[in-house]
Amino acid sequence: MSFLLPCPHCGPRDVNEFDYAGEVTTRPTGTPDVRELAGYVYFRRNVAGVQREWWHHRFGCDAWFLAERDTRTNEVLCTEVPAARARS
Amino acid sequence: MTRLDPQPRERIDRSAELTFSYRGKPVTAFDGDTIGSALYASGVRVFSRSFKYHRRRGLLCCSGACPNCMMTVDGVPNVRVCAEPASAGAVVHPQNVLGSIDRDLLSIVDRIGRPFTPVGFYYRTMIRPRRLWPTYERFLRNVAGLGRIDRHGVRTTRYDTEHRRVDVLVVGGGASGLRAAREAAAGGERVLLADENPCAAPADGFDVVAPARALGIYEGGLVPVAAGTLLLRVRARRIVIATGAVEQPLVFPGNDLVGVMLPDGARRLVEDFALAPGDRAVVLAADDRALAVADVLRRAGVDVVASIDLRTDEPAKIEAAGRRGRLHGVTIDGAHHDCDLLVAAGTPQPAYSLLAQAGARVEYDTSRGVFCPTDLPPGIEAAGRVTGALGEVAPTRASHGGGFVCICEDVATKDLERALAEGFDSIELAKRYTTVTMGPCQGRLCHLSSIRLYARLQGAAEAAIGTTTARPPWAPVELGLLAGRSHEPAKRTALHARHEQAGAEIVWTGAWKRAHSYGDAAAEVRAVHEAAGVIDVSTLGKLLVTGPDAAAFLERLYPNRFADLKPGRVRYGVLSTDAGRIMDDGTVARLGEEQYYVTTTSTGSDSVHGWFEWWNASWGMDVEIVNLTGAVAAVNVAGPNARDLLAQATSADVSREALPYLAAREATVADVPCLILRIGFVGELGYELHFASPHAEHLWDTLVGLGATPFGLEAQRILRLEKQHIIVGQDTDSESNVLDAQMPWIVKFDKDDFVGKWALEHARARGPRELLVGFEMLDGVVPPEGSQVVREGRPGGRVTSARWSERLERGIGLAWVPPEHAREDAELEIRVDGRLEHARVRLQPFYDPDGSQLRT
Amino acid sequence: MSELAFISPGAAPLVSPLARTLAGAAGIGDLSLLGKLEVRNADPGVLPDGASLIRISPERVLVLCPEGERAALKDVLPGFVVDLTAALAGIRVEGEPLLRRLTDLDLDRLPAAGKVAGVPALVTRDGERFDIFFAQEYGASVVELVRDVQEGLA
Repeated sequence: MSFLLPCPHCGPRDVNEFDYAGEVTTRPTGTPDVRELAGYVYFRRNVAGVQREWWHHRFGCDAWFLAERDTRTNEVLCTEVPAARARS
Repeated sequence: MTRLDPQPRERIDRSAELTFSYRGKPVTAFDGDTIGSALYASGVRVFSRSFKYHRRRGLLCCSGACPNCMMTVDGVPNVRVCAEPASAGAVVHPQNVLGSIDRDLLSIVDRIGRPFTPVGFYYRTMIRPRRLWPTYERFLRNVAGLGRIDRHGVRTTRYDTEHRRVDVLVVGGGASGLRAAREAAAGGERVLLADENPCAAPADGFDVVAPARALGIYEGGLVPVAAGTLLLRVRARRIVIATGAVEQPLVFPGNDLVGVMLPDGARRLVEDFALAPGDRAVVLAADDRALAVADVLRRAGVDVVASIDLRTDEPAKIEAAGRRGRLHGVTIDGAHHDCDLLVAAGTPQPAYSLLAQAGARVEYDTSRGVFCPTDLPPGIEAAGRVTGALGEVAPTRASHGGGFVCICEDVATKDLERALAEGFDSIELAKRYTTVTMGPCQGRLCHLSSIRLYARLQGAAEAAIGTTTARPPWAPVELGLLAGRSHEPAKRTALHARHEQAGAEIVWTGAWKRAHSYGDAAAEVRAVHEAAGVIDVSTLGKLLVTGPDAAAFLERLYPNRFADLKPGRVRYGVLSTDAGRIMDDGTVARLGEEQYYVTTTSTGSDSVHGWFEWWNASWGMDVEIVNLTGAVAAVNVAGPNARDLLAQATSADVSREALPYLAAREATVADVPCLILRIGFVGELGYELHFASPHAEHLWDTLVGLGATPFGLEAQRILRLEKQHIIVGQDTDSESNVLDAQMPWIVKFDKDDFVGKWALEHARARGPRELLVGFEMLDGVVPPEGSQVVREGRPGGRVTSARWSERLERGIGLAWVPPEHAREDAELEIRVDGRLEHARVRLQPFYDPDGSQLRT
Repeated sequence: MSELAFISPGAAPLVSPLARTLAGAAGIGDLSLLGKLEVRNADPGVLPDGASLIRISPERVLVLCPEGERAALKDVLPGFVVDLTAALAGIRVEGEPLLRRLTDLDLDRLPAAGKVAGVPALVTRDGERFDIFFAQEYGASVVELVRDVQEGLA
């Protein structure tokens, strides 16, 4: 695997500079039952197509960001930094 | 043999001679010769024995594509001597022979063994009797393969890796490649050209690396280029493939005889090395460039008795005959010619492999009889003959009466027929069954003919047969080159030198190097119990969590309650996942209203830091997280004398009242500003000092000078086990939760929400499947970690930690057991070395169960 | 609220994380004891002479300064400031050929944060002079690799 992943801060870099942190999931709200919790913890959509996922630029700027990548071709369509956090 | 008159473009320097040895005897060469050309000049004609049948083989391609000239050079097997420069003192030997290259005993396979060794024979033979399998294996291992590796050899070659960034990478330094390189360079682009031959071409504004082979095209325009002992990892915006077309051997009986050559091979012998490839020649070719070799031969004094243009006069049958493997004549549709050189080739096949790897499609062109690349992906271009621009060519017959399709693997037309008859009707299956294209040439000389033969045998179109998948490496490459410099980044603490100086046994813990012990772990344990010891715990992960939302942040992450932790206090915490599983443990100290100092396990620091950042990327809370793992070194001073010892190194008040158990205070020790955490992993009065890492040696020396005995990981493990303190990852695994690990007080279920809450609620409702308990052995045995717990004859749990405790005079440990056996005094049996040893469950710490030593 | 004095090197005797591993090494300068202050969520503004900066991301900047000026600079820098002097080791080396065997970073696009010698690093460039900063615990490992590559280029 050697595709170039565009870090939102550092630009395109070898994918091996990053840690892949999985498909974006939606954490249950309220109190999930066992089935719903297991779904959240274990199951993923695992699409053959454009997937929204987390990446961590471990060897670079250390940022955590989101990417949309076509899992069939490794083409990265876009990246985004999560919404700015609250600051006093 | 004498050389021809000097040729206009010859590569040899006739004024410079050198000597190497072949089969123990000296061979003279000119500077610029290859080992192959020098051997040929000295009269060698048989260069190798074929893989399966051990048939005599001679020079065929002279360009490093075929297997015929592979020899062992200076102990390195499988060197293509036709391309390998001759060097003084080289020691060259033939390979793959039993006996000598002239009298190879294994050629018996060819003479009488053929009926017993058809294609795929190894799937049907050597099955019974089964007790002979080791014998069959030994035999096959000896006869399989080509060169031999010295099993006791050590790595002597240095391989390096280098990264290059260019705008344009051109693969192939022929006319088209050079043109593409020059054009790009003229346009201001940064260009690198790679060619597999030593390059004499002038470089006009671009870099050249040669001899070098591009091994494949990977995602992101990454092309590894093997240049001798240097691997270039090239990233290119544009890649131009100008790899040309490969001359294809014709398929006919006798096509592997010594004296049958490809046109370019014959040309190189004459033009590069001034050698006549024979005396009497017949030329058969299907394109102008190849046919022009006839003129080259005539100028070299070779008697060309027949030259046949296959585009116009293709014969039906060709049969070459020889004696002892050497060609002496050829019969073409009944007409016989005596000859010792047969130059034969069909339409050259574009070398599209790199393009196919990059994602191009490949289509069969029926008017030319070859596969051509098409539909090139963005960033990939093709130039020259590889595109299919071959001049005027026409398809030739798939075979002219039989013969070898694959000379690397000794696969004949009969073998493909048989494979088809046995049902292996797709080219991918045929390839795997017959091993065609799987030899050293990797299909360069046989992929096309195997497909065309299969098409003809099945009465199908070549387009329907298709090609097999092109994969890297495109050329053979040594594993050492891909490995490069083997280097694993290790982490060392600021006290590493002190541990080495003290003679510590250093071990890996994850990526860290740590002191296992200083020679006598039992003595180190004794020192901690009786006086004072000091251990380097700088490897602990350390995170600063600070900001208005710091408390709320930690409340959401941990099952523990930390919002009520007062400044100046520290608490043990266990981090859980949303599946309720234990992820890591450590301490959380509150340094201020909005300031927390979190420690993690040594191997968990990066993942816990990532965990914190990842959750906050979703939550967006107003908190800053700083990884101080390397910035801060830490040592733990523990033992009954720890307080007195510390008091001598600091003017701060370290009395029991000023610094009680679980206090967190900043103070200067030995002139070094420290954060002191009074915690107790090892079960004795203890102080963990955290301070800037450059001061580590000074502080360590001070403490040791005051009487603290250094203790290492092993002593620490024994001490913590006496207290039944868990080690995450040792006593817990990816399924363990904090309730089953017998720490229910950690979980504050009344909190609104924290990571893992729902799963822990479910776990509490469901009840445990197993529980972690302490046990002590009833006799002197210490069970190895992982030993199985047996109860009433059935398996019931496993030992996660066990040690001999000198203090308690027995073996102790931790184990997971079914809940009904997790009772004080319950009897267990533990399987050790096939025997069942007896143990008893202990639910309280073995040493100082009420913790009075800790809190003193 | 703690001033976090315990994370900053003070007046007590100290040892650079690279001191031992650089013994006998040629062509590698030790920058480990330079002042290194990370500034978050603010622009450091105009820096005094002798100080420089490496931008890591829109919110994070590493300010480098002579050791003696660190304490004073820490007090005046805006935003969230944390002293990473002890966290990072640093080396100074010469030559693109050396860097090309240590990293695949684009050497024309420095300063940058990326993988050098197998570890996360920050790299700046001044002509053929490269300064590389990385977690101090990797000190011996990085120097070992740099020396090995120097040997291969010799």
